[in-house]
Amino acid sequence: MNSQRPVLFLLLILYVFSPTLFNWVVNPDGAWYRPYIIWMLVIAIAYAVQSRRKRHDI
Amino acid sequence: MIFDLSQVAFLSIAYLLLLFGIAYSTERGWIPDAVVRHPLTYILSLGIFASAWSFYGVIELAFQYGYGALAYYLGTGAMFLFAPLVLGPLAELARRFQILTLADLLVFRYHSQAIGAVATLCMLLAVVPLLALQLQAVADTLRLLTEGETPAPLQKAFTFREAMALLYCVILALFTILFGSNQENHRGLITAMAFESLVKVCALCVIGLLAVYGVFGGMGQLDLWLSQNPQHLEALYNPMRSASSHTLLLVFIATAVAMPHIFHMAVVENPIKQVTYTVTWAFPLFLLFMALPIFPILWAGFKLGVPMAIQYFPLGVPMWADSPGLAILAFIGGLSAATGALVVITLSLTTMLLNHWLLPLFHFGGRYNIYQQLLWLRRCIIAAVFICGYLFYLSLDNNYSLTNLALMAFIETLQFLPGIFAVAYWPRGNRLGVLVGLSAGSLIWAVGLLLPLATGITALPVPGLASAIPLGFEHWHTITLLSLSVNVALFVLLSLATEPSDEERYSAEICAEDELSHPMRMALDVYNPKEFKQRLSQRLGRDNAEEEVDRALRQLNLSASERRPYALRRLRDQLEVNLSRLMGIGVAGEILDEYIPYKVPQTRATSDINLIESRLSQYRSHLTGMAAELNNLRLYHRNTLQELPLAVCSLGKDMEVLMWNRAMEELTGIPTDEVMGSHLGIIPEPWSSLIAGFCRSHSSHRYKQQVQLNDRIHWISLHKSSVRGPAAHSGEDQVILLEDVTETQLLEQELVHSERLASVGRLAAGVAHEIGNPITGIDCLAQNLRYESDSEEVQETASQILSQTSRISRIVQSLVSFSHIGQQSPEDFQPVDLKACVDEAIHLLQLRRDKTQVDFVNQLQPQLTVRGDSQRLIQVFVNLLSNARDASPEGGRVTVSAALQKEVIVVSVTDEGPGIAAEHRERILEPFFTTKEPGEGTGLGLSMVYSIIDDHGGHIDIDSPADRQRQIGARFNIKLPRQPQSALS
Repeated sequence: MNSQRPVLFLLLILYVFSPTLFNWVVNPDGAWYRPYIIWMLVIAIAYAVQSRRKRHDI
Repeated sequence: MIFDLSQVAFLSIAYLLLLFGIAYSTERGWIPDAVVRHPLTYILSLGIFASAWSFYGVIELAFQYGYGALAYYLGTGAMFLFAPLVLGPLAELARRFQILTLADLLVFRYHSQAIGAVATLCMLLAVVPLLALQLQAVADTLRLLTEGETPAPLQKAFTFREAMALLYCVILALFTILFGSNQENHRGLITAMAFESLVKVCALCVIGLLAVYGVFGGMGQLDLWLSQNPQHLEALYNPMRSASSHTLLLVFIATAVAMPHIFHMAVVENPIKQVTYTVTWAFPLFLLFMALPIFPILWAGFKLGVPMAIQYFPLGVPMWADSPGLAILAFIGGLSAATGALVVITLSLTTMLLNHWLLPLFHFGGRYNIYQQLLWLRRCIIAAVFICGYLFYLSLDNNYSLTNLALMAFIETLQFLPGIFAVAYWPRGNRLGVLVGLSAGSLIWAVGLLLPLATGITALPVPGLASAIPLGFEHWHTITLLSLSVNVALFVLLSLATEPSDEERYSAEICAEDELSHPMRMALDVYNPKEFKQRLSQRLGRDNAEEEVDRALRQLNLSASERRPYALRRLRDQLEVNLSRLMGIGVAGEILDEYIPYKVPQTRATSDINLIESRLSQYRSHLTGMAAELNNLRLYHRNTLQELPLAVCSLGKDMEVLMWNRAMEELTGIPTDEVMGSHLGIIPEPWSSLIAGFCRSHSSHRYKQQVQLNDRIHWISLHKSSVRGPAAHSGEDQVILLEDVTETQLLEQELVHSERLASVGRLAAGVAHEIGNPITGIDCLAQNLRYESDSEEVQETASQILSQTSRISRIVQSLVSFSHIGQQSPEDFQPVDLKACVDEAIHLLQLRRDKTQVDFVNQLQPQLTVRGDSQRLIQVFVNLLSNARDASPEGGRVTVSAALQKEVIVVSVTDEGPGIAAEHRERILEPFFTTKEPGEGTGLGLSMVYSIIDDHGGHIDIDSPADRQRQIGARFNIKLPRQPQSALS
């Protein structure tokens, strides 16, 4: 259960911010590639987490 | 723009040959390891997830569902984003139990062959439309490229398109057979798949760039076009709000978990551990590149007015933008995507069919080589799967879009979701629930979607109902929800209503909890690897059984003469794992349960401590938080026990050695690695009988047990107490402490000896004092008597009295000198020349002519000095030499010699007498012990020698016989601490 704590935390954050994010994405005035920006952001976070873990391991 | 058929066919075949070449060169080792084993290669190889449908079909999905189409990537992306959490444990489980397919996973978790068979059937039904989809995509694009028109439904005749699809099938079947049918790692296959992923992602991105910059003329122009055609932007958002897009998301998440090719690549072919972390960002990035060009290509297709089905816009856009090179690239990209998916889906399906359909039905092995048999069988199944896919493709007659086919497959894989979910999160779920739920869900799917696809019916008339139930792809949303609801409801209800078997519960615990669940120590009725071979040869054939057992022994680093129960249990588990890899988890389990079954343990719930230990040390880095803290605590306590300076071992109720610490290793000389997990009966003597006898006894202590070790007697004390095992209701183990009390025993003996000497000393001093005074009186009176009387008789009597009193005085004198031993402190010692001492002693002895005449030889060198009291050392030599003389025959030879050892001088006095009898040897240094005639000796000489030498910090020991050949003589060796300047010249 311990190891799943970050996931639960992340899900909570997603739940809290999902209406805002959703509205931002579907705003017709915005660029069509907005979902991809979020996607890119997620990848960047995953990369940061992974490289930190790697350093930690060493 | 139309291409020449021969050109395209040539290019396609050349590309496929290139894939062959890459796979072949990898297997030959021509491609450097740095490339083959690079994490990027593995991550790209995961790209087989994106089949021809995500190259073409997803464009149509984007048209229908707008952003909802991205959900296709979302499910898989999320799964890999959390790979260490989601895939890590699954991959570990797969590695440990050799779970190769989803069906294996279900069989392992629910302990039922029937589930394997049903899951294989459902998967086959799900996957066949997907195989047909790939073939259809390749055949359609080939036709578009060469004929340039919307593919119309086929005429019944066997056209060129079908021929090309067949050729494609044949080439791919060949490829799969060559590089995927062996059981070992598929490095060639993985590298080729990585290459095809690279090609398709590059192709799609290049077409995307062409769409944005070639067709629209840049991002600004694209935005302008969108603002002029707002219906396209609208289409992005509107469908997202409908219920069906949520169902779509659910379907796609199921795809990510259950699709056989993704399971195969993500879980089975997961060769590099480090990749588990790299994949968290790298694979979503790959998916991003795959998803990014979708909308620009869709819009470019509309802008150009490409007269094709929307799904083929990735090919149509470069064709209508007059870019022949890119059109070919798009075709090759699509071909790549189809190839990767086809090959891996076929492989995975082949394993399922073999393990869950064929092997349980037929018995293989026997006299023939099982590996060859299985290899050929796999090859045949691979060919059969391709044929099956091709026939299904033919039967469809091109009536359905790629999206229809893909969704159809995905909806069936959705039926696996409840069963898979319960593997990790719901241990209560049982086999009946899964079996019935999966079957019911699949039945609804088959009737609702597959049947209309195959037969063309659109409604199912039900007796008793006014209107027939509408079927077909238009109702996919309802059918999906209905099938899944029925599936979940039946699964939950039946699982709650029925009880799982013990085995199933055990597997469920392994899957759901940490892997460190308490493994039970089961008993085997097999006692060595040879018996394993004999038993297995009944089913596998002699050669196969021998090869398998030898392989498992090699993997575990065990010898063929292994007899430890612990090691044999590991051997059985390893055999099960190896056979699982070969013939599936169900069949392997069945074979081992039949031929090498675990017996019910004698004591209920005996934990396999050794296994827990080895797993804990293996997975230590995986533990976090409280578990890691507890593990550190465990390590601390374990090290405390391990390094305890007392020999400790613990034994299970079945007499299996569970712990053997370092002190125990030193005491017994038996290494821990060799003894762990052994039965107590097979460890070397005398330990086996000593410990086993003590274990069986009711007393909890045994003192000073004599044990012969290396020709020397040791005294061992044993203590024991019981410990309760970690599992509930477990039997009581015993912890045994062995104490080597040899040193204490020797010291005790020494102490008793000294105590005796001391009491004799005190007695002697008292006696001498008490006797001395009256004797002096008698002596004086006798003197007076002699002077006062002239009588001859009286004179004679007085002389007699004087002679007797002088003898008493001598005895008293020696008693006094004995009692005064140790009075001089070592600080008063002076350097003493040993040779001079010996010379003086010899001189004194030679004065007595009445004794046996012997030849004294002093071989000592003049420089030999020690610190000591010269008078008392002379006394030592006088005593030793006179003893030697008394023992020697007339004319015998008594030699005094010296040798230098590290820190001591050893002076030896050797005679040629009869030697000292063994029974006297122990007592010869005790006071008042003498072998001489009464009146000849007091028995104090040697004990005085012992005391003097002891006072000088030396030691005396006795060799008898000195001359082993002639069995005569005695040698007294005096070891005295050496002066630095002492040297033998």
